[in-house]
Amino acid sequence: MSHRILIIDDEDDIREVAALSLETVAGWEVAVASSGAQGLVRAAEYNPDAILLDVMMPGMDGPSTFRELRKNPLTARIPVLLLTAKVQSNDQRRFADLGVDAVLFKPFDPLTLPAQIASALGWN
Amino acid sequence: METGSENTIADALARLWAKFLPENLERVRILESAGEALGAGTICDADRAAAAAAAHKLAGVLGTFGLTEGTALAREAEEAYPGISPSDAAGVTRLQQIARQLEDMIRAR
Repeated sequence: MSHRILIIDDEDDIREVAALSLETVAGWEVAVASSGAQGLVRAAEYNPDAILLDVMMPGMDGPSTFRELRKNPLTARIPVLLLTAKVQSNDQRRFADLGVDAVLFKPFDPLTLPAQIASALGWN
Repeated sequence: METGSENTIADALARLWAKFLPENLERVRILESAGEALGAGTICDADRAAAAAAAHKLAGVLGTFGLTEGTALAREAEEAYPGISPSDAAGVTRLQQIARQLEDMIRAR
């Protein structure tokens, strides 16, 4: 089954590899945004099935972007997966406490990223 | 045996690696520069923050391109830079060594 994913990440390389993975391995449709602010607009326009959201971004970071997504009725119910290179347990607890649907870790394997997303969201 | 999808991904990853090589080498250059400043005892808060940020980005991306050891080294640097003292000779040497190892690893991929 095809899905529509919005990737919000300020790092060009991560954005492009994730998009490549989701499009090529899973055949999903992908839209991208390079900042939290751009991501909020894109999410409302694109109405994705899920959002892959980077944590550390300049300006509006991932947690702030997530809170804004939840405030907007157009985006409040879209599942959000945080994508982070932070692996310390206190960071993981902090992210889980935000109420996101899942936390995924960088580096990711481009061959298995779609399966990780599908498993986290019960799409299997 | 690799599947068609794996071959496509591998080819595309190789192209992306080449495309973003200058960016990753610039991240390493920031680590090298911070290592030199540490050794000279002239490191400032902005240098530390820049080094930790560069290491964080390398930690996130290198393993995605198969350089898992690079991710481990970059994480070590990311955790060390905020607090290391220039008087910690062994720690300073280690961070300088990490920058060199990362450069060698990235250029060799």
